[in-house]
Amino acid sequence: MPEAVVAVDRITKRFAGHTAVDALSLSVAPGIIYGLLGPNGAGKTTTIRMIMSVIVPDEGTVRLFGTMGSGRAQSARIGFLPEERGLYPKMRVLDVLVFLAETKGVERRVARAKGTEWLERLGLADWRMRKVSDLSKGMQQKVQFISTILHDPDLVILDEPFSGLDPVNSQVLRDTVVDWRRRGKTILFSTHIMEHAEKLCDQLCIIARGKKLVDGALSTVKEQHGGRHVTVAFDGNQGAAAQVFADRRLVARVQDFGQEAELEIAPEADAQEILRALVGSGARLARFELVRPSLHKIFVDLVGPDAATAAAVPGVGEARA
Amino acid sequence: MRKVWAVVRREFVERVRTRWFWVSAILGPVFFAGVVFVPILLARGGGIRRIVVVDGTTSALGERVAQVLSAGRSFRAERIVAGVGALDSLTAEVGAKRLDGFLVVSNDLIETGKAEYRGSNVSSMQAMEELQRALSRLVVKARLEREGVDAGVVDRAQIRIDLDTKKISRGRTTAESAGGTFFVAYIMAVLLFMAILLYGINVMSSVLEEKTTRIVEVLVSSLRPFELMLGKVLGVGAVSFFQFFIWGVSGRLLLTQRQALLSRMAGDVDASRAFQMPHIPAGTIAIFLGFFLGGFLLYSAMFAAVGAMSSNEQEARQAQQPVTYLLMISYLSIFALTNDPNSSFSIWLSMIPFTSPIAMPVRWTAGSLPMTEVVLSLALLALGIAAVTWVAAKIYRVGILMTGKRPSLKELVRWVRA
Repeated sequence: MPEAVVAVDRITKRFAGHTAVDALSLSVAPGIIYGLLGPNGAGKTTTIRMIMSVIVPDEGTVRLFGTMGSGRAQSARIGFLPEERGLYPKMRVLDVLVFLAETKGVERRVARAKGTEWLERLGLADWRMRKVSDLSKGMQQKVQFISTILHDPDLVILDEPFSGLDPVNSQVLRDTVVDWRRRGKTILFSTHIMEHAEKLCDQLCIIARGKKLVDGALSTVKEQHGGRHVTVAFDGNQGAAAQVFADRRLVARVQDFGQEAELEIAPEADAQEILRALVGSGARLARFELVRPSLHKIFVDLVGPDAATAAAVPGVGEARA
Repeated sequence: MRKVWAVVRREFVERVRTRWFWVSAILGPVFFAGVVFVPILLARGGGIRRIVVVDGTTSALGERVAQVLSAGRSFRAERIVAGVGALDSLTAEVGAKRLDGFLVVSNDLIETGKAEYRGSNVSSMQAMEELQRALSRLVVKARLEREGVDAGVVDRAQIRIDLDTKKISRGRTTAESAGGTFFVAYIMAVLLFMAILLYGINVMSSVLEEKTTRIVEVLVSSLRPFELMLGKVLGVGAVSFFQFFIWGVSGRLLLTQRQALLSRMAGDVDASRAFQMPHIPAGTIAIFLGFFLGGFLLYSAMFAAVGAMSSNEQEARQAQQPVTYLLMISYLSIFALTNDPNSSFSIWLSMIPFTSPIAMPVRWTAGSLPMTEVVLSLALLALGIAAVTWVAAKIYRVGILMTGKRPSLKELVRWVRA
């Protein structure tokens, strides 16, 4: 297995009154899209800030690209889009891009050429000499995304990238992220909207109250934590299906709606056995479908309804560098 | 270091591009030109006055008054003999602006020293002084002659006293006059105060802008907070030196070319007579710039911390007040400093880093002081800058990521200790 691009080892961050991140470990393999999921106030932003060395962890270590030290040391290889993103409103669009690229170590001339190229690609060429404050919100978001990747980073870290985006720009961003992965970049992003994670993530980590609840590949997490579900629909004759449903060796739980039923497969059993038993019972089946529960359901199950509706943590709180 | 350079460059370029910068770049020399030219133009008091001397004397005094005045700088006088209704018709002439005024002299003048001038403008100090001087000389002369003193002796006895004050600085006589010295010291104090305050507040708003737009989070992910602060301070500092450079060059041009400029502006005016720009030695300029740099570094670090601990303009304006007051102490002490540059108050003020950036250049200009004191003051200032920057950087790096309410003093202390 190749060395992790991001390796976080038991980092902890305490603010006055509460522990924002509690001994969290995670590991992001190269070339994947990794989702950091959790309700509001779970510690996602704090974790990302520690990875980016915006704040220093009280305990634990961060390794990036296999070397010790967090974001700042490797900033030339990382594109970072924080949750609360901003630009200099009074600066010209291209100048902002060039400046931000310069702080990442890109040479001025190169930054200028690349910035122009990106603005053209996103339809903002005519705006490059205009002030940022003249741009619409959507255009500013585009400029922010350009600034994140202008220096061609290997690792892109996005904190709640979808918040505030309209559906069109959301789709553009999703396509872009997939495109980055195709080009070998690693993407780490945080979100509390599971639909985004479900569509994008190769791997994920769900945290709540600063602690890791689960992590791993999306399919594994679904298998392990979602249970395995089957939807059955009858075509009139149900035969002795009720007996099959009652067999705890095959079916752990059942929700019988009459013409339809949802089964949770027993731990040792296999969907194929249930199918065989049902056919054997003489029931006429209209549908037999293996269902993976949505990530959203897993999330709510894991985090609990109260935490899922956001723990009341006072804002960003106090950030001690 | 290249990253710091990028920050320096951004601060410099963005600031120099603003209208504000060029407005003050132009207003500076305009103000300076005002200081140099306006007194000269005012002194001319609207050119030569045409007046009439109403002669009610029985001697030649009235005739002489008219002669002496016409020979002077401000008046062209014509003598008429006093008669019935003369004053009324002359008043009408003045009212019709055919005449600027008239002077009434009688035999009383020699006895009581009383004469009367009526005119459309009696507020020109220079003209009225000239009038008075001419009259008193003539009266003194007439009285002495009446007592039998030879007219030649009287003329020889009446010389104008011109007190020329020269400052002794470091054991050498300089070309500086007392008034000039105070003027230079005062202008320096004003410039230092304004510039340190202005550019310090520039640093503060720049910090605040990055904080309120949240762009700072991206920045500190690639630069250390201290690097960011350093770049900001150096960039704004470079703008201030650029501004001084523009002012210096244009001021120098104005001074060296002023005779030519004046002739073009107002015709025949003798510039050398009116306002003498005191000679400012290179050493004084070096000390001015040195202490400005030190004061700017010291105060802009404090202003950066103020910007970092505030979350909007209003908060920042409030929080900056203690810093401004600190700077004002030395500015308000300028009279004490120039009156007695070597009092212990002055010496303390010029040694304490928070006041020395203004107090030391003022003391240096006002009195002669040994180089060792300047060096000591600079060394203390350097130590002060190091200590203040250390504290400010700690507040800065926590503050820029803070949102919400302003930290209490207790919290600030905790940030610094962390």
